[in-house]
Amino acid sequence: MKINRIATDILIIGTGSAGLWAGYRASELAPEAQITLVDKGPRDWGGLMTMAGGDFEAVLDPDTVDQWIQDFVYYFDGLCDQKLMEEILTRSRDRLADYERFGCEFFRMEDGKRKFVRQRGLDHVKLYPAQLKGRGGELMVKNLVSQLKQRKVQRLGRIMLTEFLQQDGQVCGALGFDAITGESYRFDARVVIAATGMGGWKTSYGKNTPTGETMQMAWEAGAVLQDMEFARVWNMPRLFGWEGQTVLMPLGARFVNRNGESFMERYSPVLGANTDPHYTTIAMAMEIRAGRGPITFDLSRIKQENLILLRPQNGWQKLNYDKLSALGLGLDLFRDSTEWVPQMTVSYGGMQATAWGETAVPGLLAAGTARATEPGVYAGGFALMSTSVLGHMAGEKAAELLQSLPRVTAECDEERHFASTFAPLGREGLTPKEVLTRIQSVVFPYDVSILKNEQALSRALKELVRIREEDVPAMAAADPHYLLKLIETKAVAFVSEMYVRASLERRETRAGHYREDYPTRNENDLAWLCLKRNGSDTDPEFYRVPVPLDEYRFPVTRYYQDNFNFSE
Amino acid sequence: MIQKIDTDLCVGCGSCVRRCPLDALRLNEDGKAFIAYPDDCMTCYLCERFCPSGAIYVHPFREELPPVFPNVPRELGGGA
Repeated sequence: MKINRIATDILIIGTGSAGLWAGYRASELAPEAQITLVDKGPRDWGGLMTMAGGDFEAVLDPDTVDQWIQDFVYYFDGLCDQKLMEEILTRSRDRLADYERFGCEFFRMEDGKRKFVRQRGLDHVKLYPAQLKGRGGELMVKNLVSQLKQRKVQRLGRIMLTEFLQQDGQVCGALGFDAITGESYRFDARVVIAATGMGGWKTSYGKNTPTGETMQMAWEAGAVLQDMEFARVWNMPRLFGWEGQTVLMPLGARFVNRNGESFMERYSPVLGANTDPHYTTIAMAMEIRAGRGPITFDLSRIKQENLILLRPQNGWQKLNYDKLSALGLGLDLFRDSTEWVPQMTVSYGGMQATAWGETAVPGLLAAGTARATEPGVYAGGFALMSTSVLGHMAGEKAAELLQSLPRVTAECDEERHFASTFAPLGREGLTPKEVLTRIQSVVFPYDVSILKNEQALSRALKELVRIREEDVPAMAAADPHYLLKLIETKAVAFVSEMYVRASLERRETRAGHYREDYPTRNENDLAWLCLKRNGSDTDPEFYRVPVPLDEYRFPVTRYYQDNFNFSE
Repeated sequence: MIQKIDTDLCVGCGSCVRRCPLDALRLNEDGKAFIAYPDDCMTCYLCERFCPSGAIYVHPFREELPPVFPNVPRELGGGA
């Protein structure tokens, strides 16, 4: 068997925001090192950042990092790693400045001052919008890639990695295959950075690529997972994709039920419609369950002066908007009443890691959304900030580790590994799509994804175990393209099972986790829920890491969740 | 989701094939792009936007997914 062998100093998996920033920083600090970026998608495509609006959170004057940390302690209902958050926020203004130096533009008003949009009714947290609405994220990718090209960083696309190489517990590379040609690859590296994003459920909205296979690989290599009970349930148009509601809501947009009622005022008289989507989707689910759906989007209160921030002006967003309007089906968001639905999209769970990306496994760093950071609530612009900072920091740590980590080479039975990876090729069986649809049918129902309860979660777990035991091994792949989809689907099954198990385990309601049978916060449960392998891949050992308030500077004195009353 | 590629207009440059994040498109034996794997399109429009000859049409509707409210009628916000 021919195996393409690539030896590198730093292997970075994933070329979205975190991976590109890691490559940028590592190549800055270790210019002589060989750095290789690998993505399962096209080379240089930029991952989820390609579809992002480009709106960026940053702590700029006169705000202070301390003010923002306290906002996040409140917003996360105490489940905030204050030291991590301080590292992220302190560096946020530098990354914004880098983007401007690279050529990205953020919106400035006629008087030259920066425009900002406050987020989620918080006192200080705010985003700075891209100058033009439409392809801000795409421009960030383009500018970052051009920096990497200048530094001759090696960049490879369409390669799916399937297993980490390890020697004496240390990760020192990975095995994989080319998803077009089917050729085998072996990467030997001194440090590996997983920057592959989160797990997810392929719900379109530009997010059909993060599926969690690297999380599963890391789990199998000994990494600890955290925050698996939190999934992003987003409100999205029933029929199409739309980017930018994090700007729409603070500027006056709202959802109304079939009676024309702006129902969020009923659930939260304090915050009303301008709140976190996680809470909006809880309310949406309650309205629909009570027969008060469908839910429609109302933009009639948006001020004319703010429309420039909302109406797409270029890129995919403008093409999308123009096409929807041209269909003549009443789908002009700014003129018509469009139906929106709550939809589970991606997992917040990821590898447990320090701010510098160090995981429980030597040699393996985690950056961006491949690591666990936030507990299921999401302020607009947070991901572009946190992934740039955490990618940058992981790149720095990787360069440092080149000085200290021993160079090791894994002894592994390559033939056996590749025989196992390629076994589904050409055989008869279930298609990955069939199995994916079955998984989605189990986790999407609102009593598993939004208004969770023990009965529904237990039912879902039983079916997910059956899918793992019967359907996943029965999948087949007609060619390397479908082999990639098969491995993704296996990871979706893994993430789904861990999501449901962790959701059962957290018997309280906090931040992005709503248990209808445990609707209040348990003060003794201010802890991160972590999972590690317990001798088997399927039966995790849960343990709790209490939030170390005695080590932190700020006490938890108020809770964002207390703004809401969901009792019917 | 991607709906069609006009073979007469396609110049076979391969831009769409290179850019598709989901590897949905390939070139056929005649060097023309075709929809090889339609079931994973996420409506990102990259193929259509960068097609130099206007050969590609992506419909703005996203894929229909399993229901969030299986027991609520579609006209009341349920169904898919």
